[in-house]
Amino acid sequence: MITFKLNGKTVQGEEGQYILQVAEKAGVEIPTLCHHKALEPAGMCRICTVELFDGRRTRFVTACNYPIWEGMEVKTDTEAVHAGRKLIVEMLLARCPEVPLLQNLAKEYGIGTPRFKLENDTCILCGLCTRMCEKMGNSAISLTGRGVEMKVDTPFHLQTDVCMACGACASVCPTGHITLEKIREVISRRGSRLIPSEYDMGLKGRKPVYVPYAQAVPNTPAIDRDVCVHFKTGGCQVCTSFCGVDAIDHTMEDEIVELDVGSIILAPGFEPFDPSKFDSYNYAKHPNVITSMEMERILSASGPTGGHLVRLSDHKEPKKIAWFQCVGSRDLNRCDNAYCSSVCCMYAIKEAVIAKEHAPYDLDCAIFFMDMRTHGKDFERFYDNAKAKGVRFIRSRVHTIDPVPGSDDLSIRYITEKGETVTEMFDQIVLSIGLQTDPEVVAMANRLGIELTPGNFCKTDTFMPVETSRKGIYVCGAFQGPKDIPQSVVDASAAASAAGEILAEARNTLTKIPEIIPETNVIGERPRIGVFVCRCGINIAGVVNVPEVRDYAGTLPYVEYISDNLYSCAQDTQETMTQIIKQKKLNRVVVAACTPKTHEPLFQETLINAGLNKYLFEMCNIRNHDSWVHKNNPDLATQKAKDLVRMAVSKVALMQPLPEAELNVNQTALVIGGGISGMTAAKSLANQGYETHLIEAGDRLGGNARRIFKTVAGDLVKDKLAELVQHIEGDDRIKIHLNTRLTSVEGFVGSFKSTLTAGDSIEELEYGVAVVATGGTALKPEEYSYGQDPRILTSLELDEKFMADDPGLKKINSAVFIQCVGSRQPDRPYCSRVCCTHSIDNALELKKRNPDTDVFILYRDIRTYGEREYLYKEAREAGVIFIRHDRDNKPQLRIEDDRIRITVTDHVLQRPMEITADLVTLASAILPNKDESLAQFFKVPLNDDNFFVEKHAKLGPSEFATDGVFLCGLAHYPKPIDEAIAQGRASASRAITLLAKKTINTSGTVAETEPAICSSCGVCVSICPYSAPSFIAADARMHAGKAQINPVLCKGCGLCVASCRSGAIRLKGFDNDQIFAQIFAMTEAV
Amino acid sequence: MSDWEPKIVSFLCNWCSYGAADLAGVSRMEYPANIRVIRIPCTGRMSPKFALAALREGADAVWVSG
Repeated sequence: MITFKLNGKTVQGEEGQYILQVAEKAGVEIPTLCHHKALEPAGMCRICTVELFDGRRTRFVTACNYPIWEGMEVKTDTEAVHAGRKLIVEMLLARCPEVPLLQNLAKEYGIGTPRFKLENDTCILCGLCTRMCEKMGNSAISLTGRGVEMKVDTPFHLQTDVCMACGACASVCPTGHITLEKIREVISRRGSRLIPSEYDMGLKGRKPVYVPYAQAVPNTPAIDRDVCVHFKTGGCQVCTSFCGVDAIDHTMEDEIVELDVGSIILAPGFEPFDPSKFDSYNYAKHPNVITSMEMERILSASGPTGGHLVRLSDHKEPKKIAWFQCVGSRDLNRCDNAYCSSVCCMYAIKEAVIAKEHAPYDLDCAIFFMDMRTHGKDFERFYDNAKAKGVRFIRSRVHTIDPVPGSDDLSIRYITEKGETVTEMFDQIVLSIGLQTDPEVVAMANRLGIELTPGNFCKTDTFMPVETSRKGIYVCGAFQGPKDIPQSVVDASAAASAAGEILAEARNTLTKIPEIIPETNVIGERPRIGVFVCRCGINIAGVVNVPEVRDYAGTLPYVEYISDNLYSCAQDTQETMTQIIKQKKLNRVVVAACTPKTHEPLFQETLINAGLNKYLFEMCNIRNHDSWVHKNNPDLATQKAKDLVRMAVSKVALMQPLPEAELNVNQTALVIGGGISGMTAAKSLANQGYETHLIEAGDRLGGNARRIFKTVAGDLVKDKLAELVQHIEGDDRIKIHLNTRLTSVEGFVGSFKSTLTAGDSIEELEYGVAVVATGGTALKPEEYSYGQDPRILTSLELDEKFMADDPGLKKINSAVFIQCVGSRQPDRPYCSRVCCTHSIDNALELKKRNPDTDVFILYRDIRTYGEREYLYKEAREAGVIFIRHDRDNKPQLRIEDDRIRITVTDHVLQRPMEITADLVTLASAILPNKDESLAQFFKVPLNDDNFFVEKHAKLGPSEFATDGVFLCGLAHYPKPIDEAIAQGRASASRAITLLAKKTINTSGTVAETEPAICSSCGVCVSICPYSAPSFIAADARMHAGKAQINPVLCKGCGLCVASCRSGAIRLKGFDNDQIFAQIFAMTEAV
Repeated sequence: MSDWEPKIVSFLCNWCSYGAADLAGVSRMEYPANIRVIRIPCTGRMSPKFALAALREGADAVWVSG
């Protein structure tokens, strides 16, 4: 350790350190232009000159490269030092008068026009670039020449191969003398280009050391070996000089880790199709032809344009955008993907609607499609709404995109449905690219020895949708087949259940108990509030002045700490918050960010990790309720944010730590509905070791599946169903209750109690979780003369004929299928999802039985999503004739002289044609078995179509918002057998997450009585919908006859609190004083 | 026309109206900024005293929704 004096103060430094390093640590600022932390100092610019007294005389030395020694005295702030620096700056400015950095320095030193001859250089010969290049292990540039001739140059002034165009020199050049353009034009002979950011689809660059995206888990930077200079030359390692915790180790190697596992779940996902090979679309050549994934990034607030809708060639706001569907899907001519990618129609509509919302002008959006496939829950409504909002839907497959010479626009020629050729110009064209399996995943599947489908997806069976061909290996997500988020989430839960079933015995054998952070007692402490203001990328910070709100929070009473975060919900921010709460001994926390409805639990977890009771927290919603809705009023939005923060701070100061009650979860499950999905749920629950009661309103198990002939794969449903029923009946953990209805439900998650009524017999059942699988039924059509002629059937009735092997089916000359009977119409605006595939399958079956039968399918859009598309192709090859109609021009059916005549307008000929049919099959809609009493019993909602509403359309498709109640099958939405089975398993999987916990904590925000004030009026007892309040027994020792509240039953609604005439009830967490504090803080008390 | 803008205090039920206000944000709807929301667990929690207090504090209108 070396001790010396710096500006009269004693400071210490290590042997070998330079004055500048010690000064920096001591907080003494010394200006420099040529110093870089990662480089050896060179003393080139001399601005860091300081005064050194060595005991005998005073000298001037450069602080950056003068080593410290014991007893020296350094002064950085004397007149002589300043005069010296001023002279240096004046000379540098004379050399480079146009460099802003020097102009600013000159201003600081009070220099006007230099006294010396002005030159026109931009380089100050600091040598940072050459030293950095050497550090890179490259030395492509150096200082050449002597004296006034000295300059930065390449050998022989020639462009060089040695330069890798890494850009390190440009990144350190203080004056802008070396730029990326200069590297490209005069230094490197290798072309330089940005490292494309994978997350932003290459629309933006990234660094070799990078975090893939802001919310990545883990949120730790990684080094990209392929582009990092160190892995090319052995040099650089500049990053290590900047890492404060020495976390970077360039010698790390890939490791092989061996794990013992009982099952494997494959979720490798998909890769987006690359349309570069389609020459006629000019994707590779024209910047304004982009993929849908690129469009996603352009529309994203965290994307390359910050969510501003622009086209890439000239950053002009596009006035007209077109989407081309089925690029890389349903195409055997230009690629090998014959399947439908399932998701593109919906995402294209979504992009078009969002693009229209983002554009502050009337944006024209046109979607060019073959069949519009909006077969998901509420998707058809979205499609209808998009049409109402002016998105144009054009049924045409466009062959070529032509650049318009002399402009950045694009021209296309297409044929309308009426057969007219139209040429139209667009500013930007989005290719709705399909999903395909990555070749690496195919290789992995081969290594694992699992079978793939013709489309390279994982082969599964209808009745075992998440099982691969190899036992113990399961699959979910887009590798099982192209699918959207809800279906992927269902699959994921189903695969987890499948794995859990075979591993049920090993459950909890490798469990580690998490460390419980002891709760700090803060009762009686003065509030110490921390306020964290979230920028949410630009979602909040783009409108609200976040630093101003943050600083304002610092002026509020009891606030001890303030900060702002880019994303408060990011994992690293959470960890930082935990540390800050501990370090600053905060005992109340306010997060000003998004909505507590989604993020309160996350931040409460942070409090728990910091040892604080989770109720010492308040969120204020400056995104959903502020920045997003007042985006054109940044000043008012900032004012509102301040008000909301002030209100939250005044409330949180009054918050108290609250206890949570723990209750046991009854380990029995109830499944309502004995169809395919209900039986599957019961089977999964029982397989994982839970006693399960399966109740069925009818007299036998099987539901609609009993009436279905065969699966798409050709298996007879009857056989597979019999196997399942046999399994259920043979499992003693499953108690089957036939002809039974649920007639009452009491209690709550973990502890339900119901009455099961079967005729006259009544049974009470206690259980912890319930799965609703009440199913659906086929609509009995009221059109197309249904019921008036035995030759007019519904799809299920035709299946029954197949099952009975009706000999009449071989003698049919002409069969007609009519699609969308009762679906996709104003009173039932949803797609029944299964009917297209079902009818095509049945059409093929008719053809199989008699190849001479003429089969017609009258459809609106064929929705054979995923690999069901092969069936559509097979049907066309087999001679099934597909004729399209629309909702306003349905086929007409009449019975004349005992002949069924159907008139339909042919979409190709645009003329009506008549078909005489011997068999008409109506693809009738799927209706839910509307069960309002069940909805009321469990307090779960029904949507406008009477399907149950799940917790979250995407992330919670198999559960309800009501705790402990789960959902599967047709009660959720129409779906084929494989999806019903997957959801049956998924609902069981979700239920088991509760059952496996054995105990759950109730909320702390519950009501509490103050018996001393209670007048025993009984209003609370009669008014509570959850029966939480009751009278204390008359013979009780204390407070007999007064009201008390069961914290387990209390939902914290506060109804009793508001109704209490005596003011004897308080609601913890929403107490009177807390709400009044918010009201009083509303207007600023200045 | 007067350019007077009322100051509105709203008491929104956590389960419906507060969620609806969130959704208005998600849907990027726009509305005037002169409203301050107080989240309550249910409109059952609403007390006439809250409305009176808000008016006394200078609010021009109180909106209870749930």
